[in-house]
Amino acid sequence: MSIDVAERDQASPSGPEPTTKGRHRVLSPPVTGQELVLIGVIAVLWAILAFTTPAFFTPSSIQPLVASVAPIALIGIGMTVVIITGGIDVSVGAAIAVCSVITAKLVLVQAGQSLPVALIISVIVGGLLGLLNGVLIAYGRVHAIIITFGTANIFLWIALKIFNSTTVNNIPDTLAPLGNGAAGRTFGVPNSFVITVVLAAIAWYYLRHTAGGRHFFAIGGDQLAAQLAGVEVRQRILAAYLLTGLLVGLASTFVVAQGSNLGQNVGNGKELAVIAAVVIGGTSITGGRGSVLGTVLGALLVQTVASGVTQLGWRSELSDLFVGIAIIIAVGADLLRERTRRKR
Amino acid sequence: MTVPTLSEPEAPAPDEQAGKRGRERAEPLPARIVRALLTQRIVLLAVLIVLVVIYFMVLGANGYLTAAYDFDYMSAALINAVPLAMLGFAELIVILSGRGGIDLSVGAIVSLAGMIFGFAYGQWGWPLWVAILITAIVGGLLGLVNGILVAYIGFPALIATLATYYAYKSLAVVINNQRPISTRPIQDLYDSTARSVQLPLIGAWVPDVPKGIFLFLLPTMIVVWLLLARTTYGRRVYAIGTNDVAARWSAIGVRATRAGAYMISGLISGLVAVVTVGQFASARPDAGVSGNGMALPAITIAVLGGVAITGGIGRVSGIVLATVLIVWMNAGIRLAFEGNAGPQNQLLALGLLLVFAALLNGFALRRYGGAG
Amino acid sequence: MTTASTGDGAGGAPAPPAQDQPSTEEAQTTATREDRTTRLQMTDISKRFGAVRAIRHADMTVDVGRVLAVVGENGAGKSTLIKILSGAVIADTGTISYEGRQVSIRSTSDAMALGIATVYQEPQLFRELTVTENIFMGREIRRGGRIDWAAQTQKVVDLLALLELPPRYATAVVGDLSIAEQQQVSIAKALAGDANILILDEPSAILTDAEIEVLFRVVRRLTDSGVSVIYISHRLDELFRIAHDVLVMRDGRTIGTYPIGELTVRKVVELMVGGILTETKHERELDSEAKPRLELANLGRRGEYHDVNVAVRPGEIVGLFGLVGSGVSEIADSIYGIDHADSGRILLDGRPVSPRSPLHAQRLGIGLLPADRKQQGMFSFQSIMFNISAGHLTLLSKLRLWVDRVRERKIAQDMISRLAVKTPSENQPIGAMSGGNAQKVVLARQLVERPQVLVLAEPTQGVDVGAKEEIHRIINELADAGTAVLVVTSDLPEAIRISDRLQVVRNGTTTVEFGPNATQVDVLAAAAGDVDGQQGRANGSAEGAA
Repeated sequence: MSIDVAERDQASPSGPEPTTKGRHRVLSPPVTGQELVLIGVIAVLWAILAFTTPAFFTPSSIQPLVASVAPIALIGIGMTVVIITGGIDVSVGAAIAVCSVITAKLVLVQAGQSLPVALIISVIVGGLLGLLNGVLIAYGRVHAIIITFGTANIFLWIALKIFNSTTVNNIPDTLAPLGNGAAGRTFGVPNSFVITVVLAAIAWYYLRHTAGGRHFFAIGGDQLAAQLAGVEVRQRILAAYLLTGLLVGLASTFVVAQGSNLGQNVGNGKELAVIAAVVIGGTSITGGRGSVLGTVLGALLVQTVASGVTQLGWRSELSDLFVGIAIIIAVGADLLRERTRRKR
Repeated sequence: MTVPTLSEPEAPAPDEQAGKRGRERAEPLPARIVRALLTQRIVLLAVLIVLVVIYFMVLGANGYLTAAYDFDYMSAALINAVPLAMLGFAELIVILSGRGGIDLSVGAIVSLAGMIFGFAYGQWGWPLWVAILITAIVGGLLGLVNGILVAYIGFPALIATLATYYAYKSLAVVINNQRPISTRPIQDLYDSTARSVQLPLIGAWVPDVPKGIFLFLLPTMIVVWLLLARTTYGRRVYAIGTNDVAARWSAIGVRATRAGAYMISGLISGLVAVVTVGQFASARPDAGVSGNGMALPAITIAVLGGVAITGGIGRVSGIVLATVLIVWMNAGIRLAFEGNAGPQNQLLALGLLLVFAALLNGFALRRYGGAG
Repeated sequence: MTTASTGDGAGGAPAPPAQDQPSTEEAQTTATREDRTTRLQMTDISKRFGAVRAIRHADMTVDVGRVLAVVGENGAGKSTLIKILSGAVIADTGTISYEGRQVSIRSTSDAMALGIATVYQEPQLFRELTVTENIFMGREIRRGGRIDWAAQTQKVVDLLALLELPPRYATAVVGDLSIAEQQQVSIAKALAGDANILILDEPSAILTDAEIEVLFRVVRRLTDSGVSVIYISHRLDELFRIAHDVLVMRDGRTIGTYPIGELTVRKVVELMVGGILTETKHERELDSEAKPRLELANLGRRGEYHDVNVAVRPGEIVGLFGLVGSGVSEIADSIYGIDHADSGRILLDGRPVSPRSPLHAQRLGIGLLPADRKQQGMFSFQSIMFNISAGHLTLLSKLRLWVDRVRERKIAQDMISRLAVKTPSENQPIGAMSGGNAQKVVLARQLVERPQVLVLAEPTQGVDVGAKEEIHRIINELADAGTAVLVVTSDLPEAIRISDRLQVVRNGTTTVEFGPNATQVDVLAAAAGDVDGQQGRANGSAEGAA
């Protein structure tokens, strides 16, 4: 994007250097410093792993890694928007349980429906759950963390009721195109990942280039000022949680597609993994600032670490340790940057 | 520092106290009761406890329960109150300290400290009291990490404790290669810490009470209450939670006080680790993080107990009553439903209660200017 | 001390006046009434908040293409009048007519719809977003679903040009800009909404001289294009460079609107202050030989104040009077260990000290009542007793650990009776108390350890008349008992009434000193721009300490 401008007096010494007459940027750069660092770190990690374990760079290890990124990154899109508005959603783990058990047990096993039907139902269920959160938070005017702690319990109850204390077995492979297997890949790339990237790109565009998208940032920055400026705060907040719910529904189909069994602890702890990905990706937990690209990279980093730990033969739980350290470093770097900036 | 700006009204507020007193006198009894229920959390909790107990007793009398919901049962159920209430105290202190204070890592500290206790008492043969002391100190140090991250470096509490949750959780597993410690001394611990005992003197007329209540819960409760209600440190915690700018201007060491809150939370989690090891007769690496973890119920107890999520408001009595309510409610639900439906419905009840309590807090704040 | 004004050649503004003679500048100030078009007229406005009448009677005329300065003391009602115009407050009586037709402004959106835009002192911007996004938030230019960045940026660049900011600012993140630049962005934002009436609230308070020049050029450009500007300021000397008319308010009434050509600084001050106060002052015996207990010698803090010299003797009340932006509140903060000075010295009984924190300051025997009660002083939902004890937990404890509740309660009760706090008990939460009562509680906290030096910042801000009297009485008692008292205030009558000696702070440094018989006019003139305070000769006044 460029416009023609005539140069004016450079009266003020502050601000970035001007570009030459004629072309110049109208938006902040699409990739932030934090994201570049993440890309660098991931690249370095991959290089190290490729070096130390030759098996790493084979399709049989890259493909599952990339496929495992998909559900976390997908839900992360919604969580990014939620956190940008200054909220949070700790119920997504339980919501995954609800959507996946309904899809697996009711739609596939019992009713034997087809993939499109399963997809639609899962997304709708997820959307309803997200809608509940959105209504309570936007109109109930209560802190998001408390409400979603509560709805997490309620969703889990719903899921367990449907599970009826047994693992769901013999799930037909209707959803295979979304899974980890050969049917789930196109040209070697897992479909779930492709879908995730496409949706992430759409979200990225929406957040950057539409008024509605920018309004999320305003709400997180200063909710009152946003309201005074004419932003429809409540509707936007509702939309953020609704979006997250819809994405949970979609991601749940990826989860169901990954096997022929579904255990009752599906989704357990996933909310923390999603939040970790968002935070590592550079989105500020206090709101007003964030990026979907960072979230996808964050999810990729977390899964790379997990995969690397397994490949190196270390205990799988060590990956949690590294996630914790990554969070500290990522947020710490962010804090440092803020502090040097606010010196003015 | 501001001098009057355009955004402030120049006119001072007139004396509102006379008006308020007048209004109070004219309020009819039913409205006064409603207001007490909405603004005094203790009152509401006490009423709910009574209602719940009566409800289940009535159900029992009419044969809907699989076993008797009597005082013996209620007393035995209190074993669950011990770790829950103690972690509730931990969250109380942290949330009281303000600035978005919260501790997601309590469960992970329980796991890690539990393993340390398992080594110290179960494998290295240290005396029990020494082992307990070491475990508490370890918990305190783990909590202090949180405290430094939040108070001195400036991490949001949610992030810092999320990170330490991951770190401590993994260390707990790695430290003993995912194996629990269930050596003989550990197994014997159940008898010495968790079993129910008959109370002296009045024991014949009163149900047996789990030992853990006396060994752990009551001492912790008393210490925490004293700390918050009677010590200078407690005042500082309330001060920084209410307004940490004013606290700074009042010569209160804000950062040290805040870091201390997280350290105390870790210390209490260390004690809970001992309780948990005793209760399960085994030091398990996933003790505090299995299922939904221990942090969520603890935070739920705190919110139910009337703690303001923004800080500065909250009391030990609220935590205790909220714990008793949840424990007896869960106990009743377990009897009212067969098989797995019991634990499942406990989840539902907890979730509904939390949402209800949060909405109530919001409503009371708007209508009456606060709930305490 | 004052800045020399440079000729700017942009036309329109008259040169600053000499002492007492009215300006003889021609320019637009001699425009007759017939040359003006009235854009907005407020008539018979009144407003009361509870028992307090903020505005008794006000009229205001806003004309096309002219700058109307609104001046008045704190409490005169000008903030309320402006808020009525901007829709933040609804008037009780009176009419507003816009271009001849009667309108009703009942909300900020009503005001914005009429083209009334307000730029407040605190910029209400989204710090994480760019200037362009801030300006267009809520009214984005769209093209087929997406934001038309090119069109928005073009418009922003045009606006920035008006404000003499280069185009690259369009993509600068607001959080990276200085406060002054943020203010300019706020102005741009107001203009982006096609404002016809632009209200600027104390805009020069945070600007350097060079930035003020830019601001004035911008204002002139705006008025040349027909925008009406309402300019609120305490800095009277500036008005003569930018305003066409001056509306003076006093005690909730509009005294009158005068073309700038008919005024001088002194005349404006006289109108603002009205009659001479006849309140009796508390007579105090002062030992002029005594050494000062508190001395500030050439104290400075980069960016905020410099070369500050103040001396306070035991038993003396010294006032520091300064207007918004003068740096006076920052001086008080530094004495208390917050944002400490980086040059010069603070001396206590002759020894140099450097308080590094409030705790340190307390230990040195310095107490400070913060200026902003709600943000810096009150623990709102805690009790009176809690609030009083909060600053003295170690003192009021046994073994530094247990709170001595008996002693604490007694002190609280003593303070309540000594300061005449209206309350049924020391357990009442102070959040619901009136301003005066709450202020007394916060003051009580400072008095517990009987400080040797007490600094009071804005001691009666937002306090009703009765409590104000009582607080002044308490301050006098403290001085009588030997405390060295420094009152830092922007309330002029208070400053004159309470001080044994009064120093004016202006542009970040201490200037003229007045004795006990200073008049409001003299002091305000010195603070607001009368060059070198030549009128400031009262009994026994001199620069520096006695």
